[in-house]
Amino acid sequence: MTGSSLHGGPDPMARAAVVSVPARAALYVLLLVGAPFLFSLYLAVSDANVGEPIAHFVGLENFKAALEMDVFWISLRNSVVFLVVAAVLKSLLGTSLAFLLLQDFKGKKLIRGLVVIPFTLPIAISVLSWKWMYDSQFSVINWVLSRMGLIGQFGTEGWPIWLGDPKLALVACILVNVWRTFPFSAIVLLAGFTSVPVEVIDAAKVDGCSFFQRFRHVVVPMIFPILMIGFLFDTVFTLSDLSVVYLLTQGGPANATKILPVLAYQIGIQAGSLGRGAAIALFLVPLLIPALILVLRNLKRREY
Amino acid sequence: MARAMAPPMTQRRKSIRRHLLIYAAITPYVVIAVFPIYWMAITAFKQDPDLYRMEHFPFWFNLAPTLRNFKILFYQTHYGDWIWNTFTISAWVALITLVTAVPAGYALARLKLPGAENTGIAIFLTYLVPPIILFLPLSRIVAELGLQDSWWALVVVYPTFTIPFCTWLLMGFFKTVPMEIEEAARVDGCGQAGAFLRVILPISLPGVLTSVIFAFTLSMQDFLYGLAFVSPGDQKPVPVGVPTELIRGDIYYWGSLMGAALLVGLPVAILYNFFLDRFIQGITGGIGK
Repeated sequence: MTGSSLHGGPDPMARAAVVSVPARAALYVLLLVGAPFLFSLYLAVSDANVGEPIAHFVGLENFKAALEMDVFWISLRNSVVFLVVAAVLKSLLGTSLAFLLLQDFKGKKLIRGLVVIPFTLPIAISVLSWKWMYDSQFSVINWVLSRMGLIGQFGTEGWPIWLGDPKLALVACILVNVWRTFPFSAIVLLAGFTSVPVEVIDAAKVDGCSFFQRFRHVVVPMIFPILMIGFLFDTVFTLSDLSVVYLLTQGGPANATKILPVLAYQIGIQAGSLGRGAAIALFLVPLLIPALILVLRNLKRREY
Repeated sequence: MARAMAPPMTQRRKSIRRHLLIYAAITPYVVIAVFPIYWMAITAFKQDPDLYRMEHFPFWFNLAPTLRNFKILFYQTHYGDWIWNTFTISAWVALITLVTAVPAGYALARLKLPGAENTGIAIFLTYLVPPIILFLPLSRIVAELGLQDSWWALVVVYPTFTIPFCTWLLMGFFKTVPMEIEEAARVDGCGQAGAFLRVILPISLPGVLTSVIFAFTLSMQDFLYGLAFVSPGDQKPVPVGVPTELIRGDIYYWGSLMGAALLVGLPVAILYNFFLDRFIQGITGGIGK
């Protein structure tokens, strides 16, 4: 904001010319995000499908039909379970890691670089590695567990088939999400911690606050906005990500890992029922809107 | 002074103990984070029989390492095409992103436009509208444009998330350039555009480069759009081609699969690594500077 009073703006002609510039970016975004969003609302109330280009208005039929599908409720439940369990696990791992990375030690840069690799690796690519580690017969995870005596031998009851067992498949998918995003949680938290000025902490110390008091009453309120944003970004990405489940199990076995994005993809693209698919994808909106509003409120406080 | 007085041995011992404790605590995290990548790497260089013997110690080579898996990739699959597609897609996406996001970011940051801040936030928020909500309507748009089944579809679609993110990022960058520099340029006879092109842009080159990197790395993170819009085997980018084309039914060529994943994934991960703090700053609105 420095020097803003000096800046009265040059000649009005140049100004008018550049006013159109953000308009262009806004237009592109509007065309490719706003328009599709509206179009998706339109699809959701039509009987559009891949075979017939002319769609008819069917009102809320697609939403009603979705609510009547058993697999929709299974997917919704799985999506929520996935989101909540993953969030708990990645907060635990992320917070503890952030505290460790807050310490001063030799080789910290290298270690930090190594620890964040899961988040920076393209997701479709890292999932492949997990698919191999979860192999029904040659799983390296099982190799370790079996040598430790924790599970039985291959071919017996005690040999877990991670992606083939309905009881384990969702756990397996959640673990991959946690693996991928716990470094993100840690780095966001770390960014929050380092944004708290040392003087503030010292002042609280002088005032006789214990470690936990300082944490609870000084640090947490100060890093709250950044925490919220990290949390909400993760919510949006975890809820809407299809690649982990799609590549590991395609939603199987017996719908045990079916989540809303996978269902929307299978019905919208694979079965070609665009209207039905769009309606299912739109069920994510009520879950996402609170996230958007909170992010908006926090971004408004951005300092420069 | 005080340091010189203190007995050096106890100090050092204390520091070593502290370091050992920290390393011990952080090792599990590093192992969890890195193991899948290590596993990818060792699988890629193993001979097939070496992959399927459970009685052997699996974490190292029991048979001599081989490059056969990579040969298969380049001679018997479209892997080379996918790498080429990935780079051309990214180059186009980066170009489209820069042409729109640089001027937009500058205008929103600098010109006293009414509602600039809110426009900026609105543009950024579209980054949060997930592909899963947009891909069905976009599939119609891609079809209307006649781009289905070609990687050009992705060139059109990826800017939906790179422009919002990079505009926001560049807004932050341009705001850090001191106003005085721009005014000096104007005093020296540059117009607004001249000042921008000759003075502001060169100073902001790191920001522009960062945007290019993000246009690339964010494109690499996509799977859904590529999966939905591009089906011919030779048109896919790497992150889509590898999992969809190299897996045929129930037969897995794990060596080649892991090689394909590693060869492209690792460089991207390392590149992204260097810019991760920028990404975090971007999405958290620069709170944690």
